[in-house]
Amino acid sequence: MEEETKNKINGKKLGFWKWAIASVIFRLILIYFPQNLNLSSRPEVSTPVTSLRRLAEGYWLKQLSMSPYAGSMYHGSPLLLSVLGPLTAIKVEGQPNHLLCSLVSVIADFICALLIRATGCILQTAHGQNLKSLGLETMLEDIEIMPSGDIAALVYLWNPFTIFTCVGFNTSPVENLFVVLSLYGASAGIVPLAAFGWVIASHLSLYPVVLVIPVILLLGYCPDTPPRKLFLQRDFQKTGAERSIKNHVQERPLTNKPAEATFFWWRVILFFLWASIWIAYVLILCAISVKEYGGLPEMFKRTYGFILTVKDLSPNIGVLWYFFAEVFDFFRNFFLIVFHVNILFMILPLAIRLNHRPCFLAFVYLTISSMLKSYPSVGDSALYLGMMALFVNELAEMQFSFFLFCGYVGVSLLSPVMHNLWIWRGTGNANFYYATAMAYACFQIILVVESVSAMLNHDRKIRKQCRTMEG
Amino acid sequence: MEEDKPKPRPIIRLGLFLISHSLLVSVVCCTAGVLSLLLLPVLGKNTYISENALMPGSARPMLTNDDVSEGERFVNQILSFDTMSTGMEIPKMITDHIMDLGGEVNHHKFLPQFNKFHPLHFFLGPDAGTVPENYSCLSYGVNTVGIIRAPRGDGKEAIVLVTPYNSLKITRAEALSLGIAYALFSLLSRVTWLSKDIVWLAADSRHGEYTAVASWLRDYHTASFGDLKHSEICAASNLPEMKKMHNGFRHAGTMAAALVIKVSNRSTEFEKDALTIYAEASNGQMPNLDLINIVNYLAVHGQGYRVKVEKIWSLLNAWWLKSLGQLIEMLGKLAGSLNPQWNFGIPVSEYVECTATLASSLYNQALGVPTGPHGAFRDYQVDAITMEISPKFSSSLNNRQHEILLHVGRLVEGVVRSVNNLLEKFHQSFFLYLLTSPSRFVSVGVYMIAFALLVAPLPLVAASLFSDATKSNPDAEEDKFACKPASTVQPAPTSTSWKWLYAAKQVLIVHLWSAIVTLLPYFVDQIPDSSPTTKLSIWIVLSIITLLFLDLFSGSSFPSTCRSRDTEWTLLKSVTVAAAFIGLCLMSVINFATAEIGALLLVPMCLTTVPLRLDNKVNTLRALIRGACNLIFIFVGFPPTVFFVLKGALEGFDNMRFGDFWNWAESLWSWNSATYIYMYENIRLNCRRQVFAWMSSWWYELFLGVLTIVIGLHGWVKIMVMNGVDDGGCPLDGRRLRLGCGDFSWEQVPSRTELDRPERSWTVTELRTCMKRISLYSHRAQMIAPHMFFLAWYLLRFLMGASNANGREVIDSRVPSKATLAIYCRY
Repeated sequence: MEEETKNKINGKKLGFWKWAIASVIFRLILIYFPQNLNLSSRPEVSTPVTSLRRLAEGYWLKQLSMSPYAGSMYHGSPLLLSVLGPLTAIKVEGQPNHLLCSLVSVIADFICALLIRATGCILQTAHGQNLKSLGLETMLEDIEIMPSGDIAALVYLWNPFTIFTCVGFNTSPVENLFVVLSLYGASAGIVPLAAFGWVIASHLSLYPVVLVIPVILLLGYCPDTPPRKLFLQRDFQKTGAERSIKNHVQERPLTNKPAEATFFWWRVILFFLWASIWIAYVLILCAISVKEYGGLPEMFKRTYGFILTVKDLSPNIGVLWYFFAEVFDFFRNFFLIVFHVNILFMILPLAIRLNHRPCFLAFVYLTISSMLKSYPSVGDSALYLGMMALFVNELAEMQFSFFLFCGYVGVSLLSPVMHNLWIWRGTGNANFYYATAMAYACFQIILVVESVSAMLNHDRKIRKQCRTMEG
Repeated sequence: MEEDKPKPRPIIRLGLFLISHSLLVSVVCCTAGVLSLLLLPVLGKNTYISENALMPGSARPMLTNDDVSEGERFVNQILSFDTMSTGMEIPKMITDHIMDLGGEVNHHKFLPQFNKFHPLHFFLGPDAGTVPENYSCLSYGVNTVGIIRAPRGDGKEAIVLVTPYNSLKITRAEALSLGIAYALFSLLSRVTWLSKDIVWLAADSRHGEYTAVASWLRDYHTASFGDLKHSEICAASNLPEMKKMHNGFRHAGTMAAALVIKVSNRSTEFEKDALTIYAEASNGQMPNLDLINIVNYLAVHGQGYRVKVEKIWSLLNAWWLKSLGQLIEMLGKLAGSLNPQWNFGIPVSEYVECTATLASSLYNQALGVPTGPHGAFRDYQVDAITMEISPKFSSSLNNRQHEILLHVGRLVEGVVRSVNNLLEKFHQSFFLYLLTSPSRFVSVGVYMIAFALLVAPLPLVAASLFSDATKSNPDAEEDKFACKPASTVQPAPTSTSWKWLYAAKQVLIVHLWSAIVTLLPYFVDQIPDSSPTTKLSIWIVLSIITLLFLDLFSGSSFPSTCRSRDTEWTLLKSVTVAAAFIGLCLMSVINFATAEIGALLLVPMCLTTVPLRLDNKVNTLRALIRGACNLIFIFVGFPPTVFFVLKGALEGFDNMRFGDFWNWAESLWSWNSATYIYMYENIRLNCRRQVFAWMSSWWYELFLGVLTIVIGLHGWVKIMVMNGVDDGGCPLDGRRLRLGCGDFSWEQVPSRTELDRPERSWTVTELRTCMKRISLYSHRAQMIAPHMFFLAWYLLRFLMGASNANGREVIDSRVPSKATLAIYCRY
């Protein structure tokens, strides 16, 4: 996963496109051995919500003019069913099953990587210009700035988690694609695109709803900047001679006036307008699609209700299944509220503290929700690890990186072993597997804490340098 | 920023303290780990029956003399067959008898399956196997399966009795085991208390006992009959008068337990009849301890048997073990005199015996090869053991037939009755344990302490090296991305914390290489008509070529002009040690014994290694000693060395052949043993490590971890995907490895036409002779003493290293002497 980072670090001579295409070819090779790899039945890779096998089942039911949600098999969106469903039914002679769906996953991954790369470019340009406007050009010269977009895209493409997800018959690549699309649209200032991505992503997997805050911040201000206070101080001290810098900045449409803490209300209002249009559109399509099978209420109950009430307690890498298998029934609702509010509790403080870095805020939200969501899979980790690589420059001094790396490697190897000991060998029990799930959650917590503190330290450093320059 | 921080919390201070004194701590921990391993026999607990429902021995045995007489008649009838041309006489007879008793019966035909090693299938478990083209009807094995439906059960559960026999040439002992099963079967067909079906599998062991049982189990669980398209033709010729018999495959319920009953030809040296229990299944899995407990309890208390488990006999006379036992006994007495509550001492003889048993238990689990046909059951989560009865005197099989039938029959009846009482699967007692004697065991909680102590230094050393590397040279950290001189404008260094990425990349590349080389034997094996020696040489050459290739690809991405180059090895070592730690921990969950033995070899290796070039620069005594240690550990850790030394110790050095290692490795891999991976990884890692150690310092450390991680990783991948619901058997290549009496032998591969030959079964006492015999079978093999070869190779390396040390090219010692192979030239 980190190897590509390094390759890129060594300079651009390795080339983004070479590695990206290599990764696509690697995936294409892997999808020829789906039966051998048997990934689609791994609890780490496919969850009840994202499994394509379940989607195929739902499509089959629908073909028999039964409700696709009958029998608690399928829990995804009806739109996805209409788009991907026919693909699951087509069998190419002599080719592995689900070949077309796998191809869709590969394409989704590739587009996702490209979008991440574009987002990285925008962020980097914004970063450079912000520093310039603060008068910290020396900082840019001293440290070689890494092409964070390329690195992030390659980390996303070559992350084993992403590859497993892509090969393992999953809708996660598609869901990730829409999350990234929304963030890209927001950072590029394309309001309809941002709204579209956000609406579809939330429709598909519900948890990206919380991304509305980073998206609004991205649209309202601009891509990530150092704390806004610095610009105010700077402006206060500066004379008209420095206006030229600002003019220079304004040449770029993407980073409108980074030096001023203006909030573009009109863009936010536009965003909500677009979002409501898209929501209405999606709902109408869904209503048409599930008209004969109980309508929209049934759909909400079977998709979002399924996610929120944690009906399926089959083991996964999350922490909820074990808990709800143990808890008494009359406490169940209470703990459901507790667990879901956990995610919501963290939204506001983080939004206040990190409001000047909306993209980073989105990364933190994604990590937290992948830690606490009801049916997590490694596809979520793949997304936030790719997002994290967008901030290589800022997170260069992150603590415990080696420890975290070892932890991720260790847990991701140990978890299947424990699952095997429990389910197949019969020599272990559920506690063995759950222990690795808890360790995984702990590592995610450490990752969030350390990355946030590294980011805040980075901001502090910039502030200090501003002060030294003034003084 | 850090200076003005208040004192960190106690736990962090403790961690920092440990890291700063890592050398001391690691030495102490390692010693403690080894000591506690030796103390394990003392720490063993007495076994106890954990599942209350079993109630062994609570009912009076119902097996009467009438049943036994019937069994005796059965035995005599079997032995009265003079010629067994088709091998169908005994199955027919058994069928008739079972039908007379009112049981259901069917025949299960199978062919030995030649599982070819396939790279993907190695990870995924066995495929269906390939049926050879030119087989004859005679090469079918025919298992006879009799089933009694339980009067009080619902047919959902079953108990399996297995009696292996050779249908082509039956011995009196095998006939006796069939007689025992028959006597029991006739009793069980009448009893009213049965609530689980009884399945009697008379396994035709002409292709090996394991093959027969495994193929029956495979068909039982997959409900397919294989691709035996010609079975009808053969059925017509072989089974003409079996019309009235049901021809389909008969099923009972899920299996609660399985017992393999064998009678041994050999006599014991004790005054009582002896019962030997074999329990180890593939990859170090063990059956539930309760099963062993009830057998042990009923045999000792019910029938007056002497119960044994396997031992390593040579350890019984080891002087060092005896003196250690004396020391422990003394200490125990001392402690007992201080406080009567502390009575942990055990007598010397008991200690030595327990240690020998423990060592055998560890060895068998680590090898990962099942010790008998019971191993096939464990792959389907069925608890099974093999009970081997050896009578008092060798001639007594004839005279005491009745007595043996009665006692063993009652013993098995008691076990069946206990298991019959079970309401759930075996789950109460331990699955993870080591036996120190039939009635003593070391549980997972105890032996893990020894292992944890042994590997505890690894993370500590990794952490301390890591903190050294990141903190000691702040000026070098600037050079991470561009190797320009450190600029002093920025006080804060760039990405200190990501410096390890380079090292991680190196480790990853080596892992990749080792994975490729692990898969190479598959392709080497495709070459027809080559001796093991040539195969091994081809394999070595290919591995080296791959190494060269990967190095070309990966390039020297290390900033070779960096100043930090000399300290880079600490990071590399840190990453490798961390990888080794992860690998060992993984392996300890998969197969404890392999992990423990691996840790014994690896941990000292990980802790002592330092680039030899650095040592050579220093030229002190300490450095010399350290270098010597390195060499010794590398030599010891090299799997072929270990293999040949062990083998030489067992059978003498004069019979050794170069190709033996190939054979051995091949047998391991055909058993899907995780140890196989360990072996192979070890080889190439070590090679690699060795080669580069002399050339450039940072390459040096990598090789350690690779082996461990790949041990863990491959075992992991294999295990992860292997056990799908319906597959997961242990494929046995019948040609290469045959089981007899719990020992596996390096048997020469017979040609396919030889398949119909009766199996040679090696016995424990005949081990030495049979090994010698085996060695003689190969004609083309060369009589190279391989350890000499490796030694010479290492010496060569050593000389080169010394010349480097002498000075001229200390830093740029990239061009080795011309004696080296071409691949090293770029270094």
